[in-house]
Amino acid sequence: MKHDITFTINGESVHLTVLSHQTLLEVIRNDLGLTGPKYGCSTGECGACSVLLDGEVVNSCLVLAPEADGAEIMTVEGLSEDDELHPLQKSFIDHHGVQCGYCAPGMLISAKALLSRTSRPHEEEIREALVGNLCRCGAYADIIKSIQVASRARR
Amino acid sequence: MVMRKTHVIGKPFPLVEAQKKLTGVSCYAGDERFGPELLHARILFSERGHARFRLRGVEAARKQEGVAALLTGRDLHTRLGAVIEDRELLAVDEVKYAGQPLAVVAAESTEAAMQALAMIQIEYERLPGVYDIESALAPNAPPVHPHMASYRGFDQVQAEPERNLAHQVAFQRGDVEKALASAAFVLDHTYTAAPLQHAPMETHGGVAQRQGKGGLIMWMHTQAPFLQREVIARALHMDPKDLRIITQCVGGSFGSKVFVSVEGLLAAIAREVDNRPVRLHLTREEEFRAVFMTPAMRARVTMGLDDQGHIVAIRAIYDWNVGASVDAFLMEMQRIALAGAGPYAIPNADIQVNAIYTHLLPAAPMRGLSIAQVHWAVEQHVDELAEMAGVSPLALRQRNLVKGGDQLFPNFVMHANGLESCVLETARAIDWQPDHQREASGAVASGKGLAMGWSPILVSPHCKSRAIIQCDGENLCTVIVDGVDVGQGYYAFITQLISFELNFPIEWITVQPTDTGNYDSDWRAIYNNLLWSTGRALLQATAELKRQILSYVSEMWEEPMTNLDIVEGEVISYATKRRLSVLTLLQEGTGEGAPPVFRAAGVYEPEVKAESLDGALQSFATTGYAAEVAVNLETGDLTVLQLAGAADVGHAINPEGVKAQLKGGIIQGVSQTLLEEMRFKDGAPVTIDFMSYPIATTADMPQQIHPIVVEIPQSTGPYGARDLSNHVLVGASAAIGNAVYRATGVRIRELPITPQRIYDALQTQAKTVEGNC
Amino acid sequence: MTRHAFISMETVFLKSFQYIRPESLEEAGRFLAGDAPVKLLGGGNTLLLRIQSGEEEPAILLDVKHLPGFKDVRYHHNQGLKLGAAVNLQHLVMGLEIRRHYALLHQTAQKLASPQVRNRATIGGTLAWASPVSELAAPMLCYDAVCHVWSSRGLREIPLSEFYLGDFQTALAGDEIITHVHLPAFPNRTYGVYRRQTVRHDGRRMIAAAAVLAYRRQQALTHWRIAVLGVDDRPKRIPEAEAALEGAPTEEEVDRALHIVQEQIHPVDADYARADYRRASLNVLLRQAILDVIQQLQSMRS
Repeated sequence: MKHDITFTINGESVHLTVLSHQTLLEVIRNDLGLTGPKYGCSTGECGACSVLLDGEVVNSCLVLAPEADGAEIMTVEGLSEDDELHPLQKSFIDHHGVQCGYCAPGMLISAKALLSRTSRPHEEEIREALVGNLCRCGAYADIIKSIQVASRARR
Repeated sequence: MVMRKTHVIGKPFPLVEAQKKLTGVSCYAGDERFGPELLHARILFSERGHARFRLRGVEAARKQEGVAALLTGRDLHTRLGAVIEDRELLAVDEVKYAGQPLAVVAAESTEAAMQALAMIQIEYERLPGVYDIESALAPNAPPVHPHMASYRGFDQVQAEPERNLAHQVAFQRGDVEKALASAAFVLDHTYTAAPLQHAPMETHGGVAQRQGKGGLIMWMHTQAPFLQREVIARALHMDPKDLRIITQCVGGSFGSKVFVSVEGLLAAIAREVDNRPVRLHLTREEEFRAVFMTPAMRARVTMGLDDQGHIVAIRAIYDWNVGASVDAFLMEMQRIALAGAGPYAIPNADIQVNAIYTHLLPAAPMRGLSIAQVHWAVEQHVDELAEMAGVSPLALRQRNLVKGGDQLFPNFVMHANGLESCVLETARAIDWQPDHQREASGAVASGKGLAMGWSPILVSPHCKSRAIIQCDGENLCTVIVDGVDVGQGYYAFITQLISFELNFPIEWITVQPTDTGNYDSDWRAIYNNLLWSTGRALLQATAELKRQILSYVSEMWEEPMTNLDIVEGEVISYATKRRLSVLTLLQEGTGEGAPPVFRAAGVYEPEVKAESLDGALQSFATTGYAAEVAVNLETGDLTVLQLAGAADVGHAINPEGVKAQLKGGIIQGVSQTLLEEMRFKDGAPVTIDFMSYPIATTADMPQQIHPIVVEIPQSTGPYGARDLSNHVLVGASAAIGNAVYRATGVRIRELPITPQRIYDALQTQAKTVEGNC
Repeated sequence: MTRHAFISMETVFLKSFQYIRPESLEEAGRFLAGDAPVKLLGGGNTLLLRIQSGEEEPAILLDVKHLPGFKDVRYHHNQGLKLGAAVNLQHLVMGLEIRRHYALLHQTAQKLASPQVRNRATIGGTLAWASPVSELAAPMLCYDAVCHVWSSRGLREIPLSEFYLGDFQTALAGDEIITHVHLPAFPNRTYGVYRRQTVRHDGRRMIAAAAVLAYRRQQALTHWRIAVLGVDDRPKRIPEAEAALEGAPTEEEVDRALHIVQEQIHPVDADYARADYRRASLNVLLRQAILDVIQQLQSMRS
């Protein structure tokens, strides 16, 4: 079954025809060519596919594309503005918040969601906010530090 | 901005690919775009363990709409392996393990590929299988590889196929029996460790495309493209020069993307279709079911201590369940034998390492892991020995640890090392004290434990490392190397080294993704001690390049070369004070004719001293760990409060990067020690997702993490540096195990340390105490 | 066509289905009355996995999140809390009315899965999935939650304590839809505690969990609620044990309540925790939770 849907992604409005059983992840990667969100598990356990859906972090592998009709979506590609890296991205570079990097786009999206409601999160709050993002390299400590430093710099 | 010379080595330096990875720019194998030409491959894997099988409906599946090609073992029967070819690309008649590939298809869409495979019915006839070490070694156990003697590479292994011994490595010195007989204390225990999954966040896959008649290009996220080229080409009877592997960003490997797993099938099916690219990307479930496991360990350790506190003898038998393939584990077994006595100067040692075939997934080593498991046994054993003798576990370690100058192996004298600093620094970081046993508040008790580690760094015989640097006006400074950055900071190191040696700003330097097309077809790169080997090759190349640049300017300026130098991106003359930006030089040259192109190569070829176990031994990475845990004595719930990890890296070229690796090792250490275990039912994995196979989340992190860098220079390494990432978590599990003992009085000898195991041990302890009263 | 659960997909479902977003309950009801197998889609965190693996093969997915009133949250100090079935679990973490008046619900929701899952998971969908380790069920049982259910045959109310029939089974008929959940108002001096033991500390691989709630009326601690997870085929309350705590329980009465609980649970082995262990773990968690509640309530100023 086909659905004509419209949503905005990283500030741009897109109009698409999708099938009922396509996931938002699939559409973002294959139809829109945005490779930030990654396939990691398809079971909502790893968070590599995280995007913001109407401002809230979700696993895009478990959102059906037609469910996103009318929504506002942000992927990691939408973080930087005019080629200027977002403070979170800069901080991840400076504080080794990235190793193999596969989890990084999802981590950044979770961090963005956290900072949009808590401007100066404590370490414990950051840990809780990242609990749905797995990092096999074990870079959690540096990721947390990157987010903390970025949140302080934003002031 | 021009980096000053002194600002590069030993200073913070970000990961070279960090920006790409953080902005979502296409970089990993699954991100590459190929347009509507792209075909999609899927693999049919066996769901059963040892069985005879027949495929029905293959021809119908082949004719299914959208199918471009389909292969079964009947179409292409070939064997696969780096040293011993003990795996089949596709099974024929007999399934040796659940997860074994039975068919591969390429189709216009993933759905079409899936539908084609769904049309194939598999008829299994169950055969008796052996799935653990005990049953594989039992008399009359069915041999997993009865025809092993006919495999290519059989002469490279010490095997007894009829009793499922896949390979054996042994090491002896002194007289263990005699020493044990006269020892004051003798302790004997068995330790086990569960099989694990590497579980990189990026599952296996890649894209392959036939080139003309016989050629093939593969875009892959492998950690060892040269090894894979050799193995795949041999399996497919190709000339290696016709197979080109271009590497992409690697979304985690931890050892799983070194040896060939499904990549051979991708190559095989791509060769069947007409020059169209074929993409394969495993699902997470397939990754769990069909890629490698790490081998389960059973270690039987006996140690003897004299009344002076010297460890006089060790006998250790390490048995490993390698599943249906030992190929990827062979070199690891050498390392295990060398590390098997622990980081101690023990005069009498008898170490035996056995790989046991079973009807399980092929095994492959994981990030220092087999060595970590060895230490899980030895380092708990030493603690018990200390308690038995009534001495502090730290004092016992200090008295016996291996020191620079000790000759424990005929061809190898131990180098100066930071082992003792590692254990002392970690002990200090968590305030470990020899006397305090446990602190209890209510039902929760806490305790602290220590462990050390050493991990042999071997040079691979016949392997080389090469680096090529080219400077030109267009691309400034491009570097071609043969290793791959998997997130450990390899490309950052290369950039730092070149920037330092040529005194170029870092912005000029671009490390190209590794491409086997840049090298001869018989090139065998080193993939497991990259910093050391690439570093040596780069030092040659930079010296030559600098000579070329200065020689060119020397002619241009008609000044002797000895007057000239490169300082902060400029060629300067100390005599005439002339200066010329290297940028201008590359873009304009002398002003006449084409601007210059400078190109230099460096090669590092290891000298393997002897064709013996220790002949390839280059150095040891040494580590120390200290843990503090809190255990609820009623529920067995365990929290790691603090974990300190130290490593001697010789010289920290990128100190923050080294710490990042250490912190990663600490988290992975916690994960493997407390959470991870692959489980099987009738030989088929039942841990098939991150729910059934949990890995550590931020909720499982220790409250405090202490990464400690120790630097005792390695005379042969670049700037005195030594490799780290592969060895970083050695000792973590044992430190946690020792801390659990201190907190609870119970000793857990099986990995992982689960709450159930702690609870059971506490119950047994309570009963024993009651019985004594 | 034979099915290989094994080749479940990266981004593709093994079988296609129709996604439909009904405008009204009546429209939804017509699909539910039809012949094609229908599943209600809430957050999809469980359902989409089951479709991927082939455990469910619906022809139609009805997205009920946009039905009128399904995202409503209303609180009234006498009438209590009405939570639309499509309110997400993250609202239980963030919502002021929840934090203030249903602290146990807030406390439990904070620990539930991950932000990604909580942002999608709906209250109706989570309750209807009826997992024996459903953490949402524990505080909901304690707060006497009642599911309000619609079908073309009419409306009915199912108290949550009668909702779970065991083994992922609920009292819901195939054509019924939860419209909202109602929690009665609780007095100010109500206190609740949720405790769990899990192998992974984010909540995965639950050994056992317990929620305990009571309130203080003058000197008496009353209206005790005990809900347990992971130790039976469903999340359940233990009314006899609750009764044993009525008043101001003594140590002996707490022991008796725990003893009753032990008699009324039926844990089963999991690969990470044996039944006897889950039993022992629950006993410890529950005792701590009861003692916490007693202490907190008694320290409140009367």
